[in-house]
Order: sequence, then C-alpha cells, then structure tokens
Amino acid sequence: MTTLGRTAARAHVERLDRVWREPRGVLGWLTTTDHKRIGLLYFVTALAFFAAGGVEALLMRTQLIGPDRELLGPDAYNAVMTMHGVTMIFLFVIPMSTAFGTYLVPLMIGARDMAFPRLNALGYWIFLASGLFLYAGLLVGEAPDAGWFNYVPLASKTYSPGLGIDFYALGLILNSIATTAAAANFIVTIFKLRAPGMSLNRMPLFCYAFLAVSFAIVFALPPLTTALIFLELDRQLGFSFYDIAAGGEPLMWQHLFWIFGHPEVYIIILPAFGIATSIIPTFVRRRMVAFPLVALAEILVAFIGFGVWVHHMFAVGLPQVTTIYFAAASLIIVIPSGIQLFAWITTILTGTPVFKTPLLFIVGFIVTFIMGGLTGIMFAAIPFDQQAHDTYFVVAHFHYVIFGAAVFPILGGIFYWFPKVTGRMYRERAGQVSFWLTFVGTMVTFFPMHVVGLLGMPRRNYTYGADRGWTGLNLTETIGSYLLGAGLLLIVANLAWSRFRGAPAGDDPFGGDTLEWTTTSPPPPYNYPVIPKVTSPYPAWDAEDREEDARRLAAGRQVLERGHETPATTVLDADYDETLEMPAASPWPPLLALALAAVVVMLLLGHWTTAVVFAGAALAVIAAWHWKEPEAA
Amino acid sequence: MSDVGVTRTRRSLSNGAWGALLLIAAETALFGTLLGSYYYLRFNSATWPPDGVELPAVALPVALTGALVLSAPPMLLAADAARRGRRTAAWLWIGVATVLQAGYLAWQIVLYADDAATLVPTESAYASIYLTLLLVHHAHVAIGVLLDVWVLTRLAGGLTSYRQTTVRVVALYWAFVAAVGVLVVLTQVSPSL
Amino acid sequence: MTALDPHSDAARAITTLWWWMFAVACVVLAGALLLLGIAWLRRRSPGFPLIGKSEGLASGMVVTFGIVIPAVALIGLFTVANFVVADETDAPAASTPLTVEVVGNQWWWEVRYPGTPAVTANEIHIPTGTPVTIVATTDDVIHSFWVPQLNRKVDTIPGQRNRVLLEADEPGRYRGQCAEFCGAAHAEMGMYVYAEPPGEFRAWLNDMAAPARAPATPEQRRGRDVFLDNACAGCHTIRGTPARGVIGPDLTHLQSRATLAALTVPNDARHLSGWIRDPQHVKPGNRMPRLDLGDRQHDDVLAYLESLR
Repeated sequence: MTTLGRTAARAHVERLDRVWREPRGVLGWLTTTDHKRIGLLYFVTALAFFAAGGVEALLMRTQLIGPDRELLGPDAYNAVMTMHGVTMIFLFVIPMSTAFGTYLVPLMIGARDMAFPRLNALGYWIFLASGLFLYAGLLVGEAPDAGWFNYVPLASKTYSPGLGIDFYALGLILNSIATTAAAANFIVTIFKLRAPGMSLNRMPLFCYAFLAVSFAIVFALPPLTTALIFLELDRQLGFSFYDIAAGGEPLMWQHLFWIFGHPEVYIIILPAFGIATSIIPTFVRRRMVAFPLVALAEILVAFIGFGVWVHHMFAVGLPQVTTIYFAAASLIIVIPSGIQLFAWITTILTGTPVFKTPLLFIVGFIVTFIMGGLTGIMFAAIPFDQQAHDTYFVVAHFHYVIFGAAVFPILGGIFYWFPKVTGRMYRERAGQVSFWLTFVGTMVTFFPMHVVGLLGMPRRNYTYGADRGWTGLNLTETIGSYLLGAGLLLIVANLAWSRFRGAPAGDDPFGGDTLEWTTTSPPPPYNYPVIPKVTSPYPAWDAEDREEDARRLAAGRQVLERGHETPATTVLDADYDETLEMPAASPWPPLLALALAAVVVMLLLGHWTTAVVFAGAALAVIAAWHWKEPEAA
Repeated sequence: MSDVGVTRTRRSLSNGAWGALLLIAAETALFGTLLGSYYYLRFNSATWPPDGVELPAVALPVALTGALVLSAPPMLLAADAARRGRRTAAWLWIGVATVLQAGYLAWQIVLYADDAATLVPTESAYASIYLTLLLVHHAHVAIGVLLDVWVLTRLAGGLTSYRQTTVRVVALYWAFVAAVGVLVVLTQVSPSL
Repeated sequence: MTALDPHSDAARAITTLWWWMFAVACVVLAGALLLLGIAWLRRRSPGFPLIGKSEGLASGMVVTFGIVIPAVALIGLFTVANFVVADETDAPAASTPLTVEVVGNQWWWEVRYPGTPAVTANEIHIPTGTPVTIVATTDDVIHSFWVPQLNRKVDTIPGQRNRVLLEADEPGRYRGQCAEFCGAAHAEMGMYVYAEPPGEFRAWLNDMAAPARAPATPEQRRGRDVFLDNACAGCHTIRGTPARGVIGPDLTHLQSRATLAALTVPNDARHLSGWIRDPQHVKPGNRMPRLDLGDRQHDDVLAYLESLR
C-alpha cells in the first residue's frame, strides 16, 4: 500500500473506532451489545459454573472413594448429584458453546455483529439469572434432588415437598428462554449476515454446526418447557397432568423430557464438532475431506436426533413394536457420526499434522468419542440396554461422549482461539502436559465405570457396601477424578498466566483458514475495517482476496463507516441486499432479564399477583426496547 | 393521515421477518407439544372426559374461532398495503382485525371463566390439559392484541421501511395464531364430535 | 450381582451378546487408533499414498468406513439383538407355571404369591428350572426391579403391571437392587432371589402362607402387646394379629429373612435391636420413625419379633 493509501486507510479505521466505541467500565459491560464482549461474558460465567459442577463431581467421587463413607448422607448426595447434572448441561456446556458461537460466528462470516445484538445480550443476562436462581436454591438448602431428569412421581409435591423441584423447574424455564433466543439469533445471523460472496457452500463448517444446532434448539426446548409448566401446575396448583389417580400419566413426563433430552445431547456435541472441523484443517494444513458430506452429516444428526428419544425408556414396559422402531432409529444416527469421524481421521491422515495443544485435544476427542459412540451403539441392542440401563455403564457412556465429544473440543478450541481473543500465546509445553493429564484423568475416571456397571453397580447410589466387589474400581475412579481436576486446573493456570504474560500472538499464529485470522488479535469492536471479499470456504488462505480487501480499505469501499453498519445478503448466494444499522450499547437487555427473573422468583414463592406485576414491567421494558427505531419516520 | 412513499427495497426476507418466523417455529413446537399431550392423555384414558364431566360445547367455540380466522386476511392485507406505502389502508385493515380479535378474546375470556368454574383440574387430567391448552392459546391472542395496539400507535406516527417490517411481523404472528386457534378448537371440541 | 455371571438362559443370551459387541468394539477402536498412530508416525511427511493423492479416494474412504461398513454391522446387530436375543428375555405372552407379584415401595420390595396368602418382603423364592413371571408395579414412585444374573430389569410404574421372566438354572441366591432413582434410600433397596428345588420351594411357600406363630413366653407376649399398642401396627402387618399396616413390610415371618431394611444389615438380634432403636442411623431417610421405647419394652418387642419364624 502507498503512503497515501495508508493514510486514507488509517482515517477510515479511526472513524470506525469512534463509531463503535462502547462506554467504559462496568456500565460498558452491563449495556454491551458487542458480540465479542457477550461471548466473553458467556465464557467466564460458563467456566465458573464448570468449576461448581466440578466441585460437585469431586464431592461425589470423594464420597464414593470407599464403601459406607459418611462425607455426604443420602439427601446431600442426591442434591449434589442433581446439581452436578443440571449445572454441567444447562449452565456449562450449552452456554460455553454459545460463548464460542457468539464470539466467532460473526467473525467467521465476515460480519460486524449478530443479527440481533440486543437479543444476544438478553440471552446472556437471562442465562446468568437462571444460574444464580438455581444456585440460590442450593444456598438456602432447597436444592433439587430428584436427578437432572427429575422423574415424576418422585418429583411431584407428594414425594418432594420442599422448594427444590420448583427451583429446578422455574430455573430451567428461564434458562430455556436464553437458549432459544441465542438459537434464533444464530440462524438469522448465519442466513442473512454473511459477507457478500460467502454463498452457503463457502460457509465454514463451524457455522454449519451452529446452524444445525440452532434449528434443533428451536424445536427441542419447547417440549421441556411444556413438561416443566405441567410439573409446576401440578406442584403449585394441584393439577393432575402426571397424577395416575386423576387420569394423568407419569410416563408423559418421561416422553416430554426425552423428546427434549435426546436432541439436547446432540445440541451439546454439534458445536464441538464445529470446533473440531475448524481446528483440523489449520493444524494438518489441508482442506477437510468430503466437506459437503460433513456439512450434510451435521444437519442429519440434528434432524434424526428428534426420532430416537424412547431409547431412554427401554425398561419402562412399552410395546415391542415401539421399542424396535426406536432402536432402529438409534442405530441410523450412527451413520452421520461415522461420516464425520472418518472425514476427520482421513483429513488428519492425509495432511501434515502438527500436534500442538489444540490438535492434541481434538485427537483426544476423536478417541474418546469413538469409545463413547461404541457403547452408545450397544445400548441400541434392547436386551443389553435392559441390563445396563441405570448402571454405571451408562454413566461411563455419557461421560465419554459428553466429556470426550464436547469438553475436549471446547478445551482445544479455547487454546486455539485464545491468541485471537487475547492477543497473546498460551504456553505450549504446559498445554501439552495439561492435555495428557486431562486425557489420562478422563480415562482413569470413566473407563472403570464400564466395568463396575457391568458388575452391577446402579447409578445414583450415595454409597455401597464393602461386600459388593466395587471398592477397588471406585477408588480408581476417584483417583482419576483428582487427576482430571488437576489437568483442568493446569489449563486455567496456563490461560490465566498467559493472559497477562504470554508472548504477543499476532494476527495469525497458526495459519488458520477462516476469516477471523485475517483481523487483529483481539479484533477491533467492528471486527473488520473492510467487509471481506469471499470466494472460497478457506478465505484466510486466499491471499489475493485479502490484498483486494487492503486496496478497498485505502479507497474507502465496503468500509460502511457511517454508523454501526454491516451488510445483509441473500440466504443462498450471499449477494449484497442492504446495509443494516445495528443498535449500540443498551440498558434494556439486562433490565428485561431482571424483570423476567423477578417474575420467576414470585412464581417460586407463590405470589401470583406480584408475578403478574413484574410481567407487566417486562412488557414495559420490551416497549421501551423497541421505542427507538433505526429509521426516522 | 397521508400516505408516505418508502424507499428501501430488499430481495430476501428481512431480519425481522426471519426472527418472527423462528419465534413462530418455537411456538409451533410448544403448541405441538400441548396438543400432543392432550391426545396422549386422552388415548391413555378409558373415558374422556372422565365421568361426571360435561362434553364440551361445539358451536360457540367453533364460531368464535371462525371470527379469529376471519381476522387474518385483513392483517395480511394490511401488510401488503404497508409494503406498497399505503399507510392509511394498512392502518384501517389492522383496525378491523383488532376489533375482531379483541372481541374474540373478550368472549373467550367469559367462556374460559365459566369452564374454570366447572372443571376441576385437581381431580382430572382432562381438566388440567383443557384449561392449560386454552389458557396458553388465549395468552397468545392477548399478546397479539397488544401487538396490534403497538402497530397502530407506530403507524400513526408515519410509515418507514422498518414499520413495513413491523406490520408484516404482526401479520405473520396472527396467521400463526389463527392457524393454531383452529387446531386448538378442534381439539377442544373433539370429544363431542 | 453382575450381568456377566448369568444363571438363566435369558441372562446368558444377553451376556453372550455383550461379549460379541465388546469384541467388535475393540476391533473398531483398534483400527481407529491404528490410523491415528500412522498419522502421528507420518507427521513429518506431507501427503499420503493413494488416498492422499485423490479427493475422490479420500471421500471414498469416508463413505466406505463411515457409511457402508457401519450400515452392514448395525443391521446385523439390530437383527440379532432385537429379534433373536429379545425373544429369550421377554416375558412370555402365555402364562407361566408361577406368577409372583412384586410391589416397589420407598424403599423396600413387597412380594406376594397370588392364589396364596403368602406375603413377604425383599426376598423372592422361586423353584429352579421353572419359568416364573414377575409382575412388577408400585403405588408410590418409579422403581426398577433388577436381578442381573437372571434377566434384564423392568421399571415399576404406577398404574402399570410390567412383567419380566425369571428362570434359574440351578439353586442359588441371586442378588438384585432397585435400579431407578427413587429418593433418599435408593442405594439401600436390595433384594434376594432364592432359587431352590421345587420341593423346598413348596415347603417354603407353605410356611409363608401360614399366619404368625403365637408368642410362647411372657416376654414375647408383652412384646406383642408393645407392637400392637405402639406405632408399629400402624405400618406393619403381622398376619394372625390385629396389626394390618401397609406402609412397611409384612413381618409375619420376619425371621425367615436373611437381612433387614432391604439387604442393608444382616437379620440378627443385635442389628434388629439397633434398627428398632434408631432406624435413621441404619438407613438414613427411610420411613420408619424412632419410637423411643423404654428399655423393657424394647427388649420385649425384640423378643417377640425374634419369635416370628
């Protein structure tokens, strides 16, 4: 670029800096609509809940380190067990995926923000409120204790008379609003805000994963919300949805829960698949094998995942024709997973892999996911399921798939994008050590659970006798859990240290293939000074397009600096359609979240009128939110 | 109120309309679950409604739903008028629809109060699902009427491209609510059919 | 109490299925580890022979190993498991020589033999070599009846009568445990299934059908009165006395059982005494309250309960 070009470019950048600046300090964070800040908020909060869930896990494992221990009595254990499941699924892994998506999707598609920036913020504040609400229950000694899937009649008022289950139900209803809002935002963002030229077949596979996941969320959460509403009506007002004596059906809870619950597990792992498909091409210096097949597989998993829920209910006494159908569907879903696994393995095999920390975690993910997937296949054999169901064999299975197929990619992704987000490099050697600690810890904790489950140990047991033959295996699992905890702590220490003392990373330390690697580390609030030109699925490797961007910046073309602007494009071909004016910092999202949280607290306490008042307040905030419009009349 | 010309043209559906469609998708899943639960409870019961509970009336609920359905075309016409920049026409069509919808809601509230007095949800799953299904539907209608008031207020201040999308979003919402209303009323009266 | 030690045709069929699935799983995992190992060994050499040279061949590998081979294996598994093995493990449609009713309660198992007055708790006796249908239900929360050495588990659901087949090859004691989380003492809700030769079974059943032995000593008589005058009779049944409670187990033949509190502690005088004195200490969360009987009353009722053979 010429001196004149550089001066012109700098002028445009300074104008963008001014336009996109947000308020400083706490107020800035409270009112932010910047998707990167919201992503960071999600990240830190999800990490805090991960720690809480981890402490709960270590408490359980310590209680089970030997027979007849008295660290946790049955009531305490059952509450910790329930909170562990609820925390890890609703307050850690889903919000952590949202953190990744919120931060990275706009960057990867060359946009300046999500389609609905204030809705984005709202989702975060509601998530935070739901987590605080659930833990308030724990703090006042009224934690839910009927397990994370909370079967009735145990969870009915008769058998769970305290407030614990109400905390569970209302907290998850609140949480589901956040998740659904984020999903709608991802869909519209991915459909409408891609940079001109990024047709659907040039979109990163990470975005395909988030597109698939978001559609799954939109259809999967309402059954849970409905089940919870029925439960609260039964508990608070004596309704009879689940009460057999009044013509209700306890099994209806199971159906509704698992119609949500099974897609939920694919919702958990699909974003992680997206992370894996981002890391692999970068670290093996090769394009993804069978890209269209992988994209299709990601969508198929989300879709078929809605048709298998009864496989959680094979012991319930349903007719054979029903169980056979669902066993078949459960086997079919193996195929799209197999497609992705072999695409990843073949890509690694035929590329030139550099086994740095991010790729190590992805390899760990592949190994663990294969193991978890194999035991999952075994559960589709109905008679075997009917032996292994509700034993530690299941606990092993789902920890392998969740830990392996969600947490490992998340950890790999954290290392991969850490330099982009913070501008500093993590320490590689410590990263590799933490991988091995975490991987070995995972194996030592969860592999013996297969065995102890086959030896008859049921799940959700707060203790066991010395004569059961389970002592040695439980001891091993507990040791493993401490190893695993150490590995995770080392990761946190590495990142915390590197955040302040790490070497400067530059824009692109790994030679990444997607757009975020073409901007600064960390990116400016407006992501790109020029809307990027896209002609392939690996835009960061397209040097000519990036040079064209630099020329455009100097010439002031595609800069969109008159306000908070980003282009909207057509859904399939990403042809330029219009320029959108996006909202800046706003107080309405946290205020609305507060109003909704107040409604929920009032419902918990049975103060119906006050709840209605706060609902009215929420409507008022929504009106205020929409008062100012992007165009003058 | 004079008509105002509007400049923006776009080829694909606006972000606002996409957002509305996704909200509608989620609410479709909600109503699908409620209706599915009704039929699940029904087909697991020997008698439905249970003994001692009156069969639901057919004529009035169906007629009222007819009025609700009739309010959808005016909303869609309003969206079309707004798209063409014809603010007064849009405002009037929305006004007509609002009258129908508010009237529907008021009458349904009276009928619901009656049902709530006679059906005992603490004693039957039938009453539980009946009252809940109807309440959720009427709540959606009530929100819709609030949206009508909002749109009428905004349009009084002028027509912009943003407000064209607003009218379209509310029209889509009402099309959805009317369709759901048909399914809900058919389910509600199904034991009497 | 392990599914890997089957003592019936049904359990054996499942265990065999397991070992085959395990073997195939090991092969698949080994194959994947091999490929990853090769990738690691070849990490410094760019490209890969054959499949590395052609996108088509690489995609072909994905299709072969990701679609075709799994499809074949899965269809095979589906057919064998859900038709061949399932036939062995399902409760037969026609009736069996013996039916036993089991009712799950928080946190013990009621056992009845239809057609006889016999009622006991936490122990089921069945004759060897005889198909027995267990009909399992509950009046409180969902439990799951599971004796892994004999067959798969079946949930107990309010309003449903689920059936599972038990047929023991040879005499023995087989342990089971509740396998669906049912509240505080879920971990302490075990049961025994005793399989015995038909003659011994019939003798046992006759004993169980009889009403309780009358108290023989003054101490036992006083103990019976303590039982009837206190909360005990409100929760427990002793056939042949006015005690008709249904919240806790039938105690008519308490001394025929090997354990107390659903396999939590052995059934001997010391443990029975401790149980009566402080049930919450033995099995926290269970429904039996502390009675705070005086020492004399405590000893008397203990003597009475010890006499209920």
